[in-house]
Amino acid sequence: MVAQGEIDHDSCGALEETIESALAQGHQTLLLDLTEVAYIDSGGLSVLFSTGRRLRDTGWLGLVGPNPSVLRLLELVGVLVDGAFRVFPDLAAARSALSEGDGSP
Amino acid sequence: MTAGRPECEWAICVDAQTSNLSEVRRFVEQVAAETALDLERVFDLKLAVSEACANAVEHAGDDNPALEVSARLCPPRLTFVVTDNGLFRPPSLGRAAQNRGLGLPLMLTLMDEVNFVRLPGGGTEVSLSVLLDTKRARVD
Repeated sequence: MVAQGEIDHDSCGALEETIESALAQGHQTLLLDLTEVAYIDSGGLSVLFSTGRRLRDTGWLGLVGPNPSVLRLLELVGVLVDGAFRVFPDLAAARSALSEGDGSP
Repeated sequence: MTAGRPECEWAICVDAQTSNLSEVRRFVEQVAAETALDLERVFDLKLAVSEACANAVEHAGDDNPALEVSARLCPPRLTFVVTDNGLFRPPSLGRAAQNRGLGLPLMLTLMDEVNFVRLPGGGTEVSLSVLLDTKRARVD
């Protein structure tokens, strides 16, 4: 999944729908590309946390390429120390983790 | 609050709708460009002001009342004030359970000063300030 622009209280519903549809297809490990995301607020973070909660026992949500400000925010709210999430610098690193079959949180 | 006359003041007024949050953030960027704040502090301000506005939008109901965002540069502070005429509800009560509780903690973590005022006659004023010469909050 690729997100672009700003994920805020106005746009987070679209992200939620995209994630919902991926979960409905039975995916247990999801990658969300944040490379083109300039900004995320508590609305977007809530979607991430709610996704993480649902994947916690079976897989994880991979967050790819957050910019320094977004990464700092993810750190502040505890995403970096939460086993339901994995953060990757780029898609290559994320795909490498996936191909290793490292699906355990 | 800081006494003294601000060096500069700015203000915008938008309808209280989430679709206007990005316009508010552009306003914050324009104001911050007048200062020497680094990019991370500008991000913090955008987030905190946008969260305060989102909170006001949530209280606004369906009639989209006006939301005023003003800024004043009064060294060493840059302060944004979000004023709405909705009903004030303490952001922490009952809503954390709905997964909506991150807005206020983020405001408190990222800003150097936060002030909530319930206005006589209804409405809420939220003041968010950064000190111009301090570094951002960090998790160590």
